[in-house]
Amino acid sequence: MTRPSLFNRLLNRKQSKEKSKTSFSTKITKNLDDNLHNMKQLLGDPGDLVIRELIIGGLVKRAAIVYISGITDEQLINNNILKTIQLNLKQIDSKQILDQIHKEVVAITDIQKSNNMDDISFAVLNGNTAFYLDGYETVLLMGTTGGETRSIEPPDSETLIRGPKDGFVENIATNMALIRRDIKDPNLRFKQHEVGKRSKQKLILCYVEGITNPDLVDEVNRRLETIDMDFVSDSSYVEQWIEDSFLSPFPQILNTERPDNVSYHLVQGKLAILVDGTPFALIAPATIGDSLQSMGDYNQRWLSATLLRLLRYLSAFFALFLPALYIALVSYHPGMIPSTLAFSIAASREGVPFPAAIEAILMGITFEILHEAGIRLPKVIGQTIGIVGGLVIGDAAVSAGIVSPIMVIVTALTAIASFSIPTYSVAIAFRTVRFAFMIAASFLGLYGIILVYIMVNIHLVNLKSIGVPYSTPFAPTFIKDWKDLILRAPITKLTQRPTYLRPMDNKSGDIKTEKRKE
Amino acid sequence: MSTFKYGDKMIKTRDIMVLVPSMLIAVVVLSLPRMLAGVTNAADGWIPIVVSGIVAILLAWFVAKLASFFPNQSFLEYASSLVSKPIAVILTLLFALEGILITAFEVRAIGVISEQYLFRNTPIEIITLSFLWVVVYAVSGSRAGIFRLNSLFLPFIFIAVIILVFFSIGYMELSNVLPVFKTDVQGYMQGTMKSALSYSGIGVLFFYIAFVRQPKRAPGMAAVGMGFVVMLYVLIYFTCIAVFGSATEVLRLPIIDLAKAIEIPGGFFERIESVFYVIWIMGIFTTTAISFDIAVLAITLVFPKLNKIKVTLCLTPLIFIITTMPKDYIEVEQFGNYVSYLDLGLIFFVTILLWGMYLIRGVKKREK
Repeated sequence: MTRPSLFNRLLNRKQSKEKSKTSFSTKITKNLDDNLHNMKQLLGDPGDLVIRELIIGGLVKRAAIVYISGITDEQLINNNILKTIQLNLKQIDSKQILDQIHKEVVAITDIQKSNNMDDISFAVLNGNTAFYLDGYETVLLMGTTGGETRSIEPPDSETLIRGPKDGFVENIATNMALIRRDIKDPNLRFKQHEVGKRSKQKLILCYVEGITNPDLVDEVNRRLETIDMDFVSDSSYVEQWIEDSFLSPFPQILNTERPDNVSYHLVQGKLAILVDGTPFALIAPATIGDSLQSMGDYNQRWLSATLLRLLRYLSAFFALFLPALYIALVSYHPGMIPSTLAFSIAASREGVPFPAAIEAILMGITFEILHEAGIRLPKVIGQTIGIVGGLVIGDAAVSAGIVSPIMVIVTALTAIASFSIPTYSVAIAFRTVRFAFMIAASFLGLYGIILVYIMVNIHLVNLKSIGVPYSTPFAPTFIKDWKDLILRAPITKLTQRPTYLRPMDNKSGDIKTEKRKE
Repeated sequence: MSTFKYGDKMIKTRDIMVLVPSMLIAVVVLSLPRMLAGVTNAADGWIPIVVSGIVAILLAWFVAKLASFFPNQSFLEYASSLVSKPIAVILTLLFALEGILITAFEVRAIGVISEQYLFRNTPIEIITLSFLWVVVYAVSGSRAGIFRLNSLFLPFIFIAVIILVFFSIGYMELSNVLPVFKTDVQGYMQGTMKSALSYSGIGVLFFYIAFVRQPKRAPGMAAVGMGFVVMLYVLIYFTCIAVFGSATEVLRLPIIDLAKAIEIPGGFFERIESVFYVIWIMGIFTTTAISFDIAVLAITLVFPKLNKIKVTLCLTPLIFIITTMPKDYIEVEQFGNYVSYLDLGLIFFVTILLWGMYLIRGVKKREK
C-alpha cells in the first residue's frame, strides 16, 4: 500500500472536501444550449421541468425560462415574465440586455442574479423561475413560488369555543404572515435555518427581540444548527432533535396549530419554531404549568377561566391516579372505602375472577387499544368503534363477569378526564405515567403510588426545557408567576411577563423581585 | 444539552427557609406528643416544645450566621480556616456519618410504620428498599432538584396538618387540656430533652449555606423556617392532647391515630390515616433525601476526586445494612433517639467550637 506524504494527504483531503461541497460542479457557460442541457441532466430531465425557449426582439437573441410546474405560480410566469418580455421586444436594445430585463421589463418583485449552478438548481427546485440568456453567464432567478396549497382553516387539533378561528397551514410563508398579522412589532425576528439535507426545508425561529432572553435564543440557535437529517416531515422531528431529555415521557416543547397561541407566547418571552411543510409550530421553553393551560382561558372572563383551570387540574389528577387508587383501595386498603360503598364494590366484584390490579390493567389496555383504533379508522367506520367500545367492552364485559361495573366507571372517568387535558402530547405522557402508577399500586398499594409520585416529581424537577427547569414556576418558586398558573388572574392584573423566562423587558416591579432574590 | 444559565448550582435565600422545615419534619414528630404526654401533665407539654424550639431557633440562627460569614465557601473550607484542616476533615466526616445514620433511621422507620398502617404482609425489606431506591434516585439528580422537591412537598405537609387540626376541632375537649402548669420541674426538664429530639438536623445549614448566592439574609430565613417548625409542633401537640387527653401516652404515633379517629364530612374516605401517613411520607422523604445528600456532599468535600453518583451508590448498601439492624419498633425508636442525640451533640459541639474559634482567633480575609 502506498502512503502519500503528510502534505499531500492534507492537500488531498482538502480537495476531496471541496469536491464534496460543490456537488454540482458544472459551470454556467455562455452557450444557452449547453446550459439547458446541463440543467436537464442535473435534474434527470423530469417530466415536470418546463423549458420555454423564446427569441427576444429584432436582436434575435435566444433566451429561455426554466421552471418546474406544480410548485410555481404559472399565471405569474405567463403574465409578468413571458408577456412583459414579449410586449417590450422593441424597446430592448442590444447593450446590457440582461440588466434591462432585470430592472425594467420583468414585473416580479423577488428577482436576483446568479451564476452558480448550485443556487440555480436549488432555486428552480424551490419553485423559482430561471431566466437564461444566450451569451451571458448570468442567470436571473425570479420568485414565482406558488402552486396548490391548503387554505387557512380552523385547526382540528385545538378547537376553541371563542377565539380566532384561523390555523396554520403547510406553507411557511403563510404561517409567518399569520404571526406578522398578530404582532406588528419591528422587533419581531424571523431567523431562518435550513433543515433536511435532501429536503432543504426552511425553518424559522421566531422571537421578539428585546423581550426574549438572548441566552435562550442563542441556545435554541445552537441546537437548531446541530440538526442533521434528510427530511423533516413534521416539526416533531425538530422537537425531538433539540429537546433536553429524550428519556422523559413529558414533552419539553409544546406544539400548536394556532397562530394566536404562538403570538401570545412570543410576547410572553418564549420562542416559536416554524417548519416548512407542517401546520404545527413549536413553542419553547415549556413548563409543566403550560400543559394544563389553553388559549381559551384568556378568552373567558377570569372567574370562569380559573374555575375551568381548576377543573382541568382535577381531571389531570383523575387521569393520573384514578385507576391506581381503585387498585390500591380495593386490594390493599378496603378499610378506607366508606362501608356501604365497600359492600357494593365487594358484591359487584363477586363473580370477577381476577384481582383488581389485573382487572384495571386489562380495562386500561383495552381502552388504549380503542383509542388507538379510533384514530386509525376513517370517519365513516368510526362509529363502529363507538358501538364496539361502548356495548361490547363496557356492557358485555360486565355481564360476562370479566370486570366489575365499578371498574367500567373508573375506566370511563379516567378516559374522559384524560381527554380534557388541552395539550395532546401531555395527555399521552399522562397515559404513560398512569400505567406506572397502576403497576406500583398493584404491588405496594398507596405506598407504591406515593413512591411513584415522588419519583415523577424527582424527574420533573431535574428535567429542563431549553435549560429552563420544567417544574418552574412551582419550584424554583416564582410566586409572581402564579397569577397565571392554576389561577388565571383578571387580565388587568396580568401585566407582567413570566419572570421564570428572565425576559429582557419586564415591568418595573420586576427589578425589585430580582433584587430580593439575590 | 443545556447551557441556559438558571443558577442551577446556586440556591435562593428563600430555599433555606423551606429547607429547615423539610429537614426537621419527619418521623420523630409523629411520636412527639406521646413522649411529652408521658412526662408532662395535661397540655403542659407545649412549654418544653417552645423552650427547646427557642433554643433550636437560636441554634439555627447561629449556625446560619457562622456559615454566612464565609459566602460560597464549603464547610470544609471555612472550618479548616477556623480549626486546622485535620479537625475540619474529622468534623465533616462526622457529619457524613450522621447523615448516613439519619437516612438509615428514616428508611427503617418508614418500613416499621408502613407495616403498621398500610400493610402487614409485605416484607419490611421490600418497603425499605423501594423507599431507599427512590431516595437514591433523588440524590443522584441535581442538588437544586432536592431544593425544588422541598418546596414542592412542604406545602402538602402543612396543608395536611391544617386539615387534620381543622376537622379534629369537633373532637376536642377542654377537660383534656386543663389543668395548666401542674407539671413539676423534673417533668419539664425531661420534656425539653425529649422534644429536643425532634429538632435534630440543623447541621445541614453548615453545608447548604455555601450554595446560597448572597447569604446575608440566610440566618433570618433559617430562624423563620425554624419558627414554622415550632408552630407546627405546638399545633400538633395541642390537637393530640385536646382530642386524646392523657391517652396520648399510650398511642404509638398519636398524629396518625388522630387521623384515624376523626371523620371528614362527605364520607369519601372512611379512614384517612393511610392518606395522612402517605402524605407524611413526602415529609419523611425530603428529610431522608437531604441527609443522604449531606452524607454524599460531606464525603465528596473530603475526597473531591470521588464521583457523586458513585459515592451515592456505594453508600446505599451500607445504609440498607444499617436499616436492618434494629429488631422491632422499640429498637427503631431507640436507634432514632441515639441518632438524634448524637446529631444534637454534634451540632452544639461544632457550633460552639467554630464560634469560639471565630471570636477568639478571628479569621483572615480569604485571599483571592
